[in-house]
Amino acid sequence: MRLTTAAMMAMMAMALPLSGGASAAEHTVVLHHMELDKIEGEMRVGDVVAFDNRSDMAHNLYLTYSDGTVDNLDTQVPGVTRSLTLRVAGPAVIRCWIHPIIKSEFVILDGKEDAGR
Amino acid sequence: MTESRFFILLAFAIVLTVGTAAGVAPRSPVGSSIVGPVSASPGVYVPEELKVKYRRPDEIPAPPSNPLTPEKVELGKTLFFDPRLSRTGSVSCASCHHPGFDWSDGLKRGVGVTGVPLPRRTPTVLNAAWLSALMWDGRAASLEQQAVLPITAEHEMGLELDEAVANVQAIKGYAPLFEAAYPGEGIRAETMLGALASFQRTLVSGEAPFDRWIDGDEAAISEAAKRGFLVFNEAGRCSKCHSSWRFTDDSFHDIGLESEDLGRGEFAPPSVVIMQHAFKTPTLRDFRLSGPYMHDGSMASLDEVIDHYEDGGKKRPSLSPEMQAVTLSAQERADLIAYLKTLQGAPLDVTMPRLP
Repeated sequence: MRLTTAAMMAMMAMALPLSGGASAAEHTVVLHHMELDKIEGEMRVGDVVAFDNRSDMAHNLYLTYSDGTVDNLDTQVPGVTRSLTLRVAGPAVIRCWIHPIIKSEFVILDGKEDAGR
Repeated sequence: MTESRFFILLAFAIVLTVGTAAGVAPRSPVGSSIVGPVSASPGVYVPEELKVKYRRPDEIPAPPSNPLTPEKVELGKTLFFDPRLSRTGSVSCASCHHPGFDWSDGLKRGVGVTGVPLPRRTPTVLNAAWLSALMWDGRAASLEQQAVLPITAEHEMGLELDEAVANVQAIKGYAPLFEAAYPGEGIRAETMLGALASFQRTLVSGEAPFDRWIDGDEAAISEAAKRGFLVFNEAGRCSKCHSSWRFTDDSFHDIGLESEDLGRGEFAPPSVVIMQHAFKTPTLRDFRLSGPYMHDGSMASLDEVIDHYEDGGKKRPSLSPEMQAVTLSAQERADLIAYLKTLQGAPLDVTMPRLP
């Protein structure tokens, strides 16, 4: 009986690995020339964001979190998509090392809150 | 452009005695002056949508925190030409950004108060109002931030910022200029740097033959130059980085020069390989026909520059993906050079200030 309960709990944990009951969402943001699509909708810790380079030039995006840590996406030549998993809640900014004019700010919500999901 | 904005710009032109050559005169709205495709010469087609990408803007941008006023520009011009902002009292901003050298110095590498050659060539300050990242490595995000860097660099002007401010405070004649520019704010680092930034924002390349062609004057440039414009945008791949009306993408690229200088790589994590040896794309407007070229002044002629791009640069992991070897015929090379020469605007007619 104990084993059965533990197994059920494990199964529940596997089904709900993130966000205290909400599954991680996937978002796609498109790069057009020197502009990023506006980042819309709720972004939460644990969500995966894919950056799709549909411009005719290479980019190298990086995301700076509210705690100052940075995730680099490496160089993306045209047609390449790179992804990252959001790590830290709070204001965040996406920029490009090659093209400083590219800048997009958004807020990452705490993954443990599942309201609105 | 609204009428009020036009008159503000006109006022700056009068203050500087820059006249129409300053490039701040109102322009035709985009796409209004030429309708339909344009032929450069029989057999050469130049699409209007390509030309539109190079049309000059109507207005000079300025940050809301430091809007342009004629009083700030006048103060900034005075400071720009004042050598007392340097340790030796002999080097001003204009020493390296000299009007006679298209607001650069014509040297392979600049020289400041110590006489030690600087590590990089002096870039022009023309059209700096539109820059989103300043200095060859982009370490300043605004003209206000940039203004402090040469003043406090050991081998450039060699002062602490406090010392520079104190020098200006000690010159009696500056007080009314600061009061007019920044009423009630006094002579402080912020007002000094803000005025320098304001003056530099008004340094806009004069109208070039190329601009007149873009605006519809087919006789403004030669047929060879029109062919060269197509080489610039197509076979030569120059516009991959030298884009927009300023001929720069305001971005950073390793173009494969033999140099140990890491450029923007100094400010990026080592894992961002693409930024190693990367430098800002310089504007091509009013470039010095006599050179030198590149961030390190390592090339002396346009032919040498074109040779480099034909070769494609040193192959290394940081080499920009935009750097791809090209092959130009002798005719294409000659046309490209003819085109580049059409980017020379009239010199700005800036009157020298009488220093207080």
